[in-house]
Amino acid sequence: MFSLRELERYKRQMMLFGEEGQERLKKAHIFIAGAGGLGSPVSIYLAVAGVGTITIIDMDVVDGTNLNRQILHYDRDIGRKKTASAEEKLQELNPDIIINAIDVMIDASNVKKLVGNSDGIVDAMDNYQTRYQLNDVAIAKQIPFFHGGIRGFYGQVTTIIPGTTPCLKCIFPKAPPTEEFPVVGVTAGIIGTIQSNEVIKYLTGTGDLLANRLFIWDGIQAHAEEICIERNPSCEACDGNGKMKKAGKRNDS
Amino acid sequence: MTVKIRFFAQFRELLGSDIITDAPAGTMFTSLITSVARKNPEGYAAIFDKNGAFYEFVILMKNGKRIDIADADKTVIADGDEIAVFPPVAGG
Repeated sequence: MFSLRELERYKRQMMLFGEEGQERLKKAHIFIAGAGGLGSPVSIYLAVAGVGTITIIDMDVVDGTNLNRQILHYDRDIGRKKTASAEEKLQELNPDIIINAIDVMIDASNVKKLVGNSDGIVDAMDNYQTRYQLNDVAIAKQIPFFHGGIRGFYGQVTTIIPGTTPCLKCIFPKAPPTEEFPVVGVTAGIIGTIQSNEVIKYLTGTGDLLANRLFIWDGIQAHAEEICIERNPSCEACDGNGKMKKAGKRNDS
Repeated sequence: MTVKIRFFAQFRELLGSDIITDAPAGTMFTSLITSVARKNPEGYAAIFDKNGAFYEFVILMKNGKRIDIADADKTVIADGDEIAVFPPVAGG
């Protein structure tokens, strides 16, 4: 049941997916890995859409160099934990939802527990090592993994549904070298809002997901396109069938 | 024969987006990309390692189908083929 305040807040989107769709959003728990460039638009739009429980993870402190893109954090937040800043803003944006902001580094030892009983994982990370760990958990728990990546004016998005689509490692078997990547804030905005759109569609059962398709954004040419992606039968993470490999067969950490 | 090569993301910044190029019949995937990438040393260095092999993270496609890096030097290019070469975009 919704309060009068909630009915008013969500009125314009319940015109799209009804009170039933809104109820699904309210009951949902979404895990957002990262409160940075992608995590900012993702968490803001999921919060205002009324996703009932949002867990957002980050281990960093707000730095001045973050502010061109990480719109959850303001100038006054420099030096503050990103989780504290994120919790405050998201709770102000929507007081009717639950925000769990957890200040921790995601690693192989804690990732499964952190994701817990979430209904989906949003990839707002800046490195493939952690993305692969999240991908493994999504496969183990058979929950969707909403992948996004940005660099400069370029970005990529896809929605991974274990058992239905390729997993992240089917698509990108090897991580690129880490770097201090150039980026403009709008690229994070474009890619992050597409990820949020995917989450909202998934939870409400609306439209077609970005499944089996890699959406590629070129902001220099203002051009978007898709590449069809396929499962890899020799995938290290899922054997191409969306199921976990047996422990003994895995050779990554 | 004429083939089209599409680079993405930072490869595109360095080498251009849609490259139509002539290549002799029987050209292999690796040698085609090598010759096009050589036009910009920085572009070449982003895609190939010191031994001239594709970096293991580079994604290769021919006519929408994935080509394994291990198979790229024995994959023959045909007239009208469309090649895509791209990196995983990593930032967040």
